Amino acid sequence: MIIMLNGLTQGALFFILGSGLTLAFGVMRIVNMSHGAFYLLGGYLGFSVLQHTGSWTLAVLAGGGFVALLGLLLERGLLERIQAGGDLSQTLLTIAFSMIIADLCLATWGGHPLSIRAPAALSSPVRLFGFLYPGFRFVLMLTAVVIAFGLWFLLFRTRLGMAVRASVDDRETVSALGIRIDTIYSLMFMLSAFLGGVAGVLGGSYLQLSPGEDITILTYSLVVVIVGGLGSLLGTLISALVLGQILSFSLAFVPEMSMFLVFAPMALMLAIRPQGLFGRRF
Amino acid sequence: MIQSTRSAWRPERAEHRFGWSLGALVFILMVTLPWYADAYTITTYTRSIYFGFLALSVALLLGQGGMISLTQTIFFGMTGYVIGLLGAERGIAFPWPELAGLLLVVVVAFLFALVLMRTYGLVFLMLSLALGQIGWSFARQNTSLLHGWAGMRGIKPPELFGLDLSVSSHFYWLSLAVFCGALWVLWRIVESRFGLVIRGIRENPRRMSALGYHVFWQRVAIFVVAALFAAVGGILAAWSSGIVTPSTLHLNRMIWVLLVVILGGARYFWGPVLGTVIAVWLDVVISQLTPRYNTVIGIIFVLVILMAPNGLLGLWDSLQARRRRNRPPGSAL
Amino acid sequence: MKYQKVGAALASFALAGLLSAPGLALAADDGDTVTIGLLSAFTGPFASFGQLQKEGAVLALEEYGNQVAGKKIEVIYADDQLDNELAVAKAKQLVEQDKVDIITGLVSGDEGLSVGDYMKGKNIPIVPMYAASEDMTMREGDPYIIRPTWTGAQPMDVFGYWLAQDKGYKKIYMIGEDYSYPYNQAGGFKRGFLRGGGEEVTTVWHPVPTSDYSSLIASIPLDQGYDAVLYNGAGSDAVAFVKQFVEFGMQDQIPLLGQSNTFEKPDLDSMPAEIVGSYSAHLTTDDLDTPNWNTFHDAFEKRWGHGPTAASEFAYGSMKMILRAIEALDGDVSDKAALAKAMLAVDLSDEPRGPVSLDDHNAAVQNVYIREVAQNDQGELYNKGLFTAKGVSQFGPYDPALYMSQPADSRSEPAGKRADMPAAMLTVEQDYELVPFGQ
Repeated sequence: MIIMLNGLTQGALFFILGSGLTLAFGVMRIVNMSHGAFYLLGGYLGFSVLQHTGSWTLAVLAGGGFVALLGLLLERGLLERIQAGGDLSQTLLTIAFSMIIADLCLATWGGHPLSIRAPAALSSPVRLFGFLYPGFRFVLMLTAVVIAFGLWFLLFRTRLGMAVRASVDDRETVSALGIRIDTIYSLMFMLSAFLGGVAGVLGGSYLQLSPGEDITILTYSLVVVIVGGLGSLLGTLISALVLGQILSFSLAFVPEMSMFLVFAPMALMLAIRPQGLFGRRF
Repeated sequence: MIQSTRSAWRPERAEHRFGWSLGALVFILMVTLPWYADAYTITTYTRSIYFGFLALSVALLLGQGGMISLTQTIFFGMTGYVIGLLGAERGIAFPWPELAGLLLVVVVAFLFALVLMRTYGLVFLMLSLALGQIGWSFARQNTSLLHGWAGMRGIKPPELFGLDLSVSSHFYWLSLAVFCGALWVLWRIVESRFGLVIRGIRENPRRMSALGYHVFWQRVAIFVVAALFAAVGGILAAWSSGIVTPSTLHLNRMIWVLLVVILGGARYFWGPVLGTVIAVWLDVVISQLTPRYNTVIGIIFVLVILMAPNGLLGLWDSLQARRRRNRPPGSAL
Repeated sequence: MKYQKVGAALASFALAGLLSAPGLALAADDGDTVTIGLLSAFTGPFASFGQLQKEGAVLALEEYGNQVAGKKIEVIYADDQLDNELAVAKAKQLVEQDKVDIITGLVSGDEGLSVGDYMKGKNIPIVPMYAASEDMTMREGDPYIIRPTWTGAQPMDVFGYWLAQDKGYKKIYMIGEDYSYPYNQAGGFKRGFLRGGGEEVTTVWHPVPTSDYSSLIASIPLDQGYDAVLYNGAGSDAVAFVKQFVEFGMQDQIPLLGQSNTFEKPDLDSMPAEIVGSYSAHLTTDDLDTPNWNTFHDAFEKRWGHGPTAASEFAYGSMKMILRAIEALDGDVSDKAALAKAMLAVDLSDEPRGPVSLDDHNAAVQNVYIREVAQNDQGELYNKGLFTAKGVSQFGPYDPALYMSQPADSRSEPAGKRADMPAAMLTVEQDYELVPFGQ
């Protein structure tokens, strides 16, 4: 039972991570390999904000917010420049950003793993079915649900969302209709980065932040998004839940194979059905 | 920019002799290195050589085949692990562990390729990332056989041709010799019809298929060949460090190699070698000034992608082309 | 394309590299300087240990004013990120480029073994400050490896013995980091515990690093008669495990024990107060009160603003030994064999943590302290000494030849059950005599 709850917790984090990545891809066809670095940076910034202000909520918002701004800068400044070079060039560029961001994080916050103290109110153990379970993990799950709902609402119930979905299908027509495509792209990338940063603060609160975490997180995010289907929110949700359970159960019973069991579905999916469960052919 | 399907080089007649003599000079400098350079320089050049193999492996797939593969470090480390398992731990003598390593690489590369070669471009990249990560996580988490995070130690180079390879200059010469051999093999591949076919597939797989080539199997073949390049480099690396750890296979290393190849110029024969030498020396120089090696490399990467996507050699070439355009036709070089 | 142009590019780079190479070699073996290479982990899951080592070493150096017998002492700090391959590469750099006279530092057991492998035959003394892989001074010993610090099994043998004899524990559930140093700690623990009357030690291993212990904690069996859970890990893993252990409310269900490093400061400061009363064993404890320790402690706190821990004391003691040896040779370190001998001859009986002497295998014989986690008036956690075992050797109470004839500690060796332990390892002529702490 606990193992299943652990799986849900993992799944929640995976979803928040994956939603950011899939958003960036779905709209802009960018596989943002800096997503892991965004996670790490957001988490570290949140840590520092918490240290200085003592407010965890502020830490979450600041972590996400600063990273969103960074995302905007990167997108405007550099990614747009090489749109002509194609997807691969943009992907390589995001890899380079990732290296720089990760190294600067190491320089600023040091090599020792850090943990963010979640507020006591949220962390007390909850008694459930006769055993104790850390309260914060429920907070994480709740946050994921809120984000899922929020994203769904944004994409499917607002005019902005409609424009976003339309521009995925047909960029030219949308911009011909007078809608500022570039603004939409930037906004979506910012949102994607924001989600990454927030995931960092949340992850840092129940686990730890350390150098090298960015690569691990990136690979997990990629797995979630590829299995679910790049560009599909529903796909991300489902694959996040499934992969969270896989990770949790394998850590409990076959810890030596836990990472393998998480990566294998990704390889399988790419080989058999590259668009993932719910993605479109690209 | 559509490159011609000719190989990257075809030296003009007039330049032939000059090119050869310069090449010979470099060769002599390299061979005589142990006599005028200090111990650390020799070690660094040896490192450049075995990483050079890895770079050649990546460049073969990228430059000739147009495929960005993130699995090459797996093959680089695999031979090291096999040598550790059979040689260091079970005491089986050269050349059996090394050959076993190469054989394993061929098998695994073949299996990987079966899955990989039905995809192209971005999907190919991500799938190779997944496969690479599977390999890494296996090395990282398997403790019963591979000792997980600690890796394998105690790997010793054998005595070859009567030379004691634990002497660094001897090892350097061996590495140099093997590397020259590899370059020759690479040259033959690039110039051969196989090379032509691969470049054709890079440009337009559909047309090649229509022309009657088995695109899938050609790509599988080049992948296995590239894996072997990495594997040989891995043998030298294992002998040199005496130790293999999961970090040998890590994504960080893979990205570094990718950068190195792009820096030098993926489509040029000498691009990866140039890139490797520069990057390894940069490591030495930068680490004396600042620990922020990764940041510097990352910035260089960004600059290269933005301004010189064909690498340093590509930059050189476009400068030459511009100079040529500005010169009136018919003048001597 | 252009053969010559490319050739020219290649040649110029090669030349540039060659020309800059000699210039890059730092001050070569300068007659006026003794160079010491300190190779450690300054980043990664055990990063705190690297920093602590530096602090201890610097304190010792400053006591000597950074010079001995007129020779300047230069220390080069190299970060190997706790990666064994990088450790070897950095060792090469220190030996070949920086031409160090001594190598020290080293945090993890595997790091020590890997560097030891490379250094064989280089004839440069190695003084591991924290790396506790016992084989460096046992089965893979070398006249140039001198270790005035510890091995993994040393304190744990005493710990296991005490738990079985004095506390009457019979079954222990151990969760450990999956690499060589915890194997060594587990090995020593099993030997002491089973010899002292215990019945069984069950071991579960997890990869390094692990951040999520929820599944492991969930699978701790609470109804199979285990007397305690022993967490066999350190650094960020330990912090994460202990936090999550408490988050799941386990400390009310089963006692928690630690390996030597689990409750070390500064990691202890990140742990919840609910673990007060947890036992561990080490070669130091936070409330030592001898004149030697107090002098050291006060000087350390004045210099760095916080108290010393085992890692910093070890670094301090090791560096002092090195400096005293150099002093004994009047600053002439050109004969490395003489340098090694001089180190062995240094008198270490005034070590802050207690008297230390070196045995025939170049390893330390010293006091082991059993301690528990306590809380002081300011609410800070610290390790409070309970018992002392004096003159403990790296072989424990065993005969060295018998000890080394056993297979090396690994995931599955030694056996976890009393019945599977060889009889020769279950009885000794003279076992530990534990005295109350402070005597």
